[in-house]
Amino acid sequence: MKKINIDNNVRKLRFMAGELTQQELADKVGVSRQTIVAIEKNKYNPSLELAFRIAEVFETPLEEVFSYKGNSI
Amino acid sequence: MSIQEKESIVNIFSSILITGGFSWYVYNSHQQGVYDLTTDIKQWGILFLAFMLVQIVARIVIYILFYIGNTIVTRREEKNINDERNRLIKLLGIRNAHYTFSGIMMITVILLAIGMPVYGIFIAWVFSSLLSELIENGSVLYFNRKGV
Repeated sequence: MKKINIDNNVRKLRFMAGELTQQELADKVGVSRQTIVAIEKNKYNPSLELAFRIAEVFETPLEEVFSYKGNSI
Repeated sequence: MSIQEKESIVNIFSSILITGGFSWYVYNSHQQGVYDLTTDIKQWGILFLAFMLVQIVARIVIYILFYIGNTIVTRREEKNINDERNRLIKLLGIRNAHYTFSGIMMITVILLAIGMPVYGIFIAWVFSSLLSELIENGSVLYFNRKGV
């Protein structure tokens, strides 16, 4: 399994948005709850479009939601 | 457990059940002399068409029962959302199934070249279809659990 080098603050941003549930976020961006769970656990890198949609929900720039940890090969 | 994972498990068991059951019926019929599958190739064609029909009907019934059972047990209707992650996982599953099917068919062709009887190719076809379906659903289950 390849190592995912992208970190995210989705869990923190959900908390700051009044403890928005995973299901509510999933509904807002049009994916399943399992996809949000996988993103939060760093088990899935979302597409650029989905990343922008998530950032849009939290009304924050993309780089505050996702950050690149660098190449660790 | 997500609906996709449950669906993969149902697919694994239903494919074993349907293919196993139908193969058992065909084998017994062949033993009793109903079909002569060693020389009459046409009968393989008829059996494959019948198998496809049985599989479609059985799958529809199993899916209906699964969704009804799941709604009763979980007490909520789970939507099977086909988002980008699910599509990617499905694609990886199909890729693995394709490799499995191609690999077995390649081995079968080699065996055919060194003297395996022609009916062996039909048996290999059934076997590779079953195995590739198991690999596909196993892969979907694995990628859902471990991540992509």
